Amino acid sequence: MEYAIELKGITKSFGPVAANKNINLALAKGEILALLGENGSGKTTLMNMLSGIYMPDSGSIFIDGKKVEINSPEDSGKLGIGMVHQHFKLVERFTALENIQIGMRDDGRFVHGKDVRKKIEDTAAKFGFDIDLDKVVANMAVSEKQTLEILKVLCYGAKIIILDEPTAVLTVQEIDKLFAVLRKMRDEGHSIIIITHKLNEVMAISDRVTILRHGEYIDTVVTKETNEKTLTELMVGRKITLNIDRPLIEKTHPLLEIRDLTIKNDEGAVAIDHINFYIRGGELLGVAGIAGSGQKELCEAIAGLRKIESGQMIHEGESIVGMSPKKILEHGISMSFIPEDRLGMGLAPSLSITDNMILKNYNEATGPFVDRKSAREEAQKVIDKLEVVTPSTETPVRRLSGGNVQKVLLGREIKSGPNVLITAYPVRGLDINSSYTIYNILNEEKKKGTGILFVGEDLDVMLALCDKIMVICHGRLQGVVNSDHTTKEEIGLMMTGTLNIVNKEGKTDGIAKDSAITDEEGKA
Amino acid sequence: MRKYHLVRRADAKLKRTLLYYAIGILASLLIGAVILAVLGVNPLEYFGKMFTIGLVGNKYGYRQIEGLLKNFVPLLITSVALSLSFKMRFWNIGGEGEFLAGAIAASIVAFQVTGLPNFVTVLLMCLAAMISSGLIGVAVAALKVKFNTNETLMTLMINYIMLYVIKYIGETKADWNFFLQEESDRPIFGTFPQSAFMGSIPIGKFSLLWSVIIAVALTVIIYVYLKYTKHGYEISVVGDSSATAKYAGMSVGKIVLRTMFISSALIGLAAALAVSSAGTISDSITNDVGWTGIIVAWLSKLNIPAVFVTSFLIEVLQYGCQIAASQYPAIDSNYANLLQGIILFSVLVADFVANFRVVRKEDAKNA
Repeated sequence: MEYAIELKGITKSFGPVAANKNINLALAKGEILALLGENGSGKTTLMNMLSGIYMPDSGSIFIDGKKVEINSPEDSGKLGIGMVHQHFKLVERFTALENIQIGMRDDGRFVHGKDVRKKIEDTAAKFGFDIDLDKVVANMAVSEKQTLEILKVLCYGAKIIILDEPTAVLTVQEIDKLFAVLRKMRDEGHSIIIITHKLNEVMAISDRVTILRHGEYIDTVVTKETNEKTLTELMVGRKITLNIDRPLIEKTHPLLEIRDLTIKNDEGAVAIDHINFYIRGGELLGVAGIAGSGQKELCEAIAGLRKIESGQMIHEGESIVGMSPKKILEHGISMSFIPEDRLGMGLAPSLSITDNMILKNYNEATGPFVDRKSAREEAQKVIDKLEVVTPSTETPVRRLSGGNVQKVLLGREIKSGPNVLITAYPVRGLDINSSYTIYNILNEEKKKGTGILFVGEDLDVMLALCDKIMVICHGRLQGVVNSDHTTKEEIGLMMTGTLNIVNKEGKTDGIAKDSAITDEEGKA
Repeated sequence: MRKYHLVRRADAKLKRTLLYYAIGILASLLIGAVILAVLGVNPLEYFGKMFTIGLVGNKYGYRQIEGLLKNFVPLLITSVALSLSFKMRFWNIGGEGEFLAGAIAASIVAFQVTGLPNFVTVLLMCLAAMISSGLIGVAVAALKVKFNTNETLMTLMINYIMLYVIKYIGETKADWNFFLQEESDRPIFGTFPQSAFMGSIPIGKFSLLWSVIIAVALTVIIYVYLKYTKHGYEISVVGDSSATAKYAGMSVGKIVLRTMFISSALIGLAAALAVSSAGTISDSITNDVGWTGIIVAWLSKLNIPAVFVTSFLIEVLQYGCQIAASQYPAIDSNYANLLQGIILFSVLVADFVANFRVVRKEDAKNA
């Protein structure tokens, strides 16, 4: 087969974190290749090396069989590679025409005149784009902006087009339209890489699929010869037997009830879509879903860090909607979120363990000074209890290894004695032993009667650890399952939106029988 | 083909950093020596005079120390104030403008409020300067908090606005303009009445200005403020990660406004002390402390005791250069500025080298 792109042994690290480990990828001429993997699996990093934004630490890139070196986006453009980024790179104040024009070069000179317009119009017509060239970008809808981005790279003569999660911002009809354009492009001899983590789209558009997991190359399969189930397995990993305790505790009344909650993300798109769920005391509720299905927004909303669009959040009979993060904290809801970079939210990385201990209660000390003496004692207690490996309590958190950072964070959350503990990705990037320490901490909390919401990534872990698992897909609830009566396959199908069991056997998942919210209130 | 790339060192050792600093300073002195030699000046003699700030064999040596301290006070306070806002990752590069605003406000009090005791007049000058500079800082911070404007651009523009305001005052001969000398036909800034001069404590022949004591005390206070108080804690959390600060329930906007007020008010205070010590105002009253202060703050890694030492060393360099330059006809103060520039540049390069290392890129073993 003749390849448009071949990547061999590509490795890229950011500091100590390897985003790509020895990755191989081949894109045949005139095919659509889907690059599949969860968020943080290294897809975008890999593609950014093709578009000249990053340079690989090692490995080689071949374009049309020739070894090349891509040192800048300009090099990439010259090689006929065009990338449509997830976050558009357009000048908001310019018209569509001007946006295309500024990047057009003829022997390094700017080009202008009627020919340019003609050329752009011809290209648009050829691929069936529907676009008003004189419209200012600021006035465009998201789908129009995306069309413009694609048209732009085509006008620059790209033969290889990379689209980074192009469907994330589109409606179903717009996705169909996009796919039609992509097929036309393929038929014209263009080679396309489409990054996505939505399986139905992979099945619909791609010829072959390359799967990445945790920065590593897993496999490449022909789309026609595979199915969503196999792809899910490749993406999330095969079942392994785990030996995680799950103590059974007498469950109490619903501590936190979420009813009909809708939240928007930073881009203004709906992140959480009319979700219902509740957590009882002594219950560990898992949240499963492909990364980026609204988990972050949900956690932030409960912690009071994000405005909600509509719905109710009731904690012990009192609404927490509109409360400040501080108030919510005082109510006994504690949230810890481990983002992809592990340090972004919840910890101040340059500050010491001691200083991070008092992040949420430094203000309780009387007088103008911070009480570091008791903070140091608390830090020492957490270090001893959770076996944090650190030279001292005064070490900046940034210098600790990932597992220890996460122990510090959880340790702090638990010491305030919350009755609802929200924890997202607490074992992200941890080795087995550290992970087990974290599971034990969570189980200890559960035994105390705390209600825990565990947003996780590894289904095997969730099945072993959680009492119940709620599954979300694109911000919508797909159902709540009991860990003892479900399978990984079932959850996988729900995660990818293939299966929805919210309304089965006459009951609605996510609404407690003994709910504190009456029906009228729920509807209001 | 790029075969090499930069990697941040995992650990920045103090010893290595200081060693690189020393190499950098030596290298720049060497460059300076070559220039001096070309100009026909003995470099060793010149550097000797520079580093002793002309003290050796000078009957009036104490005067040099007085002069040095007079320049040191505004630089120290400004550097401390800038460190405060930088710690919060608020890029206040408007030190010059805030300084001028304070200088003007203090001068208004000096010229207009007469008949009060010396202590009270100077106190009023300080208050006026702190309030006016502080308000400018708060205004920029408010724009940032409310509309997320770029504070770097905003504070930068303040510098130019205030520079032209003082130039206008200094060049406009008019009835209302009490800043200028009445008896002179050309526009020249007037001298303050005696009651607006900074007082001093005589120690033998040497007189120690009160401003020096105030500056040292302030440095200690700000050190404690940053390190031990809740406010200081909030500043470091906001600077480290504002997402974390919000998550912890801090009201980030309020903290930014408060800290910027303190930072610019301190710079205003530095200006009030400077005009009061000089007994007059001019458009070069800032002595570039708004700029030099930025370098001091960064070289010190925003550590207040380090700011104290660094600003003192830089002041010795600046002042010594000027003193030495004044003794050779072939050299003027521009050489002093040139040498300073080279030294600061090489120290910054040394700092970079101490924190990064160059790594060779590996080629993949092709299959």
